[in-house]
Amino acid sequence: MAQKIKNSDILSQRKPLLIGILAFLFLLLGGLFMLWQRYQILVESRQSEMESIIDVVEQNIDQSLKYSYSAALSLALQIDAEGRIENFDEVAPQLVDNNSNIDAIEIVPDGIITKVYPYEENKAAINYNILKDSTRNEEAFKAIERRRMFFGGPFELKQGGLAIVGRLPVFIKNEFWGFVAVIIDFNNLIDQSGIRELSGEKYKFQFSKINPSTAKEEFFLKDVSGINESYSEYLTFPDGEWKIYIIPVDPYQPFYTVVPVAFLMLILSGAFGWIIYNTLKQPLILEARVKEQAGELAKSELRFRTIFNQAAIGMVRVDSKTGMIQETNKRFQELIGYSEEELKLMHYLDVSHEDDIEENQKLMKKLKNNEIREYSLKKRLKQKKGDYIWVGLHVSALWKKDQEATSHIAIVEDISARVKAKQELVENEKRFRSLVENSNEVILIINNRGEAVYCSPSFKRITGYDELLCSGNDIFSLIHPEERCLLIEKLKRVRTNPGKPYSEIIMRVKTSSSSWIWVNATLTNFLEEKNIEGYIVNLRDITGKKEAELNLVKSYELVMEQNKRLLNFAYIVSHNLRSHSSNLESILELYDFEDSEKEKRNYIALLKNVSDNLNQSLHDLNEVVSINTNLDIGVEPINVSAYLDKAIEILGLQIKSKDARIINEVPGEMVVSFNSAYMESVLLNFITNALRYSHPDRQPEISIKGYKEDSNWTLEIKDNGIGIDLNKHGDKVFGLYKTFSGRQDGRGVGLFITKNQINAMGGTVEVESKPDIGTTFKVDFK
Amino acid sequence: MRKGICVIDDDEIYQKIIRKLIARAEVFERAVFYMRASDALEDLRNPETSLPDVILLDINMPGMDGWQFIELLQKSYPSLFNECAIYIVTSSIAYSDKEKLKEFSGLAGFLSKPIKVDQLIEIGKAVK
Repeated sequence: MAQKIKNSDILSQRKPLLIGILAFLFLLLGGLFMLWQRYQILVESRQSEMESIIDVVEQNIDQSLKYSYSAALSLALQIDAEGRIENFDEVAPQLVDNNSNIDAIEIVPDGIITKVYPYEENKAAINYNILKDSTRNEEAFKAIERRRMFFGGPFELKQGGLAIVGRLPVFIKNEFWGFVAVIIDFNNLIDQSGIRELSGEKYKFQFSKINPSTAKEEFFLKDVSGINESYSEYLTFPDGEWKIYIIPVDPYQPFYTVVPVAFLMLILSGAFGWIIYNTLKQPLILEARVKEQAGELAKSELRFRTIFNQAAIGMVRVDSKTGMIQETNKRFQELIGYSEEELKLMHYLDVSHEDDIEENQKLMKKLKNNEIREYSLKKRLKQKKGDYIWVGLHVSALWKKDQEATSHIAIVEDISARVKAKQELVENEKRFRSLVENSNEVILIINNRGEAVYCSPSFKRITGYDELLCSGNDIFSLIHPEERCLLIEKLKRVRTNPGKPYSEIIMRVKTSSSSWIWVNATLTNFLEEKNIEGYIVNLRDITGKKEAELNLVKSYELVMEQNKRLLNFAYIVSHNLRSHSSNLESILELYDFEDSEKEKRNYIALLKNVSDNLNQSLHDLNEVVSINTNLDIGVEPINVSAYLDKAIEILGLQIKSKDARIINEVPGEMVVSFNSAYMESVLLNFITNALRYSHPDRQPEISIKGYKEDSNWTLEIKDNGIGIDLNKHGDKVFGLYKTFSGRQDGRGVGLFITKNQINAMGGTVEVESKPDIGTTFKVDFK
Repeated sequence: MRKGICVIDDDEIYQKIIRKLIARAEVFERAVFYMRASDALEDLRNPETSLPDVILLDINMPGMDGWQFIELLQKSYPSLFNECAIYIVTSSIAYSDKEKLKEFSGLAGFLSKPIKVDQLIEIGKAVK
């Protein structure tokens, strides 16, 4: 197809080219013809100019010759019948000097020059016989023959110079006498003729004469060439048979004159031809364009038809007046389930849901009345199988504005899925909203400036704040200082990991009543998420749980501690009892094998020892157990100073025997909550220990102080005894059955019991000691 | 060669019993008894006294306990376990002591109270 268009293009292009060339040639030929005529005119005018110049010259020369003739005749008349001339010397100067045409005059009887005027210039010619000189006598004889004046020359004179000689034959009584000759200088003759002035620069001229002896044409002026009949005029003088030529200096001048015009002509005709060609071509180009556009139109029509049929969207053309369906595409047919033929017999209302008809008709009426050009509508279409589908309808009028309605096109989009999704979305929204608003979990949306964009209602329930007014780092003021670092650390990670939730951020938050609540927070960076553009914070109040957890940890630690103690106690008990039982067993075995009565009695005594020891052990253990089990032991305000005085009194004997110094610095107002029996036991134990482990080299000194530290009372018992190496025994000081002194009376029970009694009352006890220097016990009361 | 035994225990009654048992076993010709480990250590460190063939050692003692005693004695006798059979003798053993037992793999054994005469005879025979 494209090839064909191209060929026709070439054909249609050829015609204007031909016409253009023809126009060019026609114009050129016409122009050249006119130029030719112009050229002819130029040549003719030159010819006539030359002719007129020649005419003038001829007249002038003729005039000159006439003057010469009359001068010669005047002189000849002076000759008498005898052939004598008397008054030559009078007449000749008159003739010559008064006549510029004549240069000299001669009397030539019988051909011999006898007299001449002016004499000086021409005396060389005296006695020269012209008739005897064969080179120039021809003309002389011609003059005699014709009996009239004849001009000879121009030739070289005997006396020198180029000149014309006119000879008038003189007859006396019909007898030839001689000549009267007139000499005209050739150059003078030329001057007289005026030819030099007339010809100017345009023309050259030439003189010629037929040589009488050779019959050849002789030219007199040197350096003049180009004698051509076409360009010269000549005339002959019957008196001298001369020819005078006039020759144009530049014979081609008329031709040259027309050449630029010819060029102009060529250019003009070329331009004209080009214009003609282009002008003729224009309709053809337009025609080609029209054809091309027609092709495009057909193509686009095809394209639109394809789009109509193949579109993924339903399209229907409906007669706007009748409402009958005229045309449908495949997609629409698929949507509705009817075939194209079936649809062509249907009204658009036949496929509409009855609830949508009213609105649809209202819009349709507006369209028909040109109130609107298009409308969009969401409606339900009835399928062939009876189901309804939701569609988005976009209707556009197909007639021109303000004209009568013809048909309209409806674009039909299946939006049933979208409608369903939207309904679900709305329901979901409702569901989630109620979840969020009724849940105990707080949901906050914080933007990147630290401002709360959203607070769920539970926020107020939990924190007591009506709304969260904060920006920047203000939010940290609500977080417990101990957890701020943790939160900042987490925030860093949250910021760099969009979309990833960071949960289990446990921290304390300040409520409106300035108390702290424990929350479990989850942070998620949704800054890049549309509709959120912030951090989502989920908070759960875990204060109850956290407190329970903390209590649990405390209980666990307590239980573990108790358990450890119990385990230790159990071991100690078993070890202790077992050592007694193994001793009993061994003694009884030895007893059985012993024969000697004395030894046997020793064994019985030994058995008594074991029994005593066992009894003591059981007593100690009982005491320990009673402290550890008796949880509801009575507590009362105890005046420490009074109890101390009592203890010192009880131990008076021991103190005296050791010569110990007791320094009592316990203030009378020192009152602590303690069990009375325990206080007695504790004080007795400390003082007894101090006395028992006194240094052998110095007087025992026991200093007892009471003072307040942080609103709690502290009791300090300091001695200067042997001390304990705490590096070795630090962990064992308050252990059961731990003794360090090596002394046999130390059972390793006292400090154990003391510590347990203090602990049972909620107090603590510490020890500071250096071997050989002394020991200090510090009791902190609750 | 005269076989020697050393008993270190803070239990006074046990001391009396073990004396009788050693006497009855009749394998040891030389026996020394200490109530406190520190006293025993002092004597054994003395270059003039030679190490006994057997040591019966209690763990739970006031002041220096059995483990400390072994550690300190090892400083004087780097190859202590080759020169001397050390038996740990105790009425019961705590879990922590069982762990300690593993550290001193060179120990000759662990004996549970009460000790029988036959056990002492065996120990005596085991000494080369």
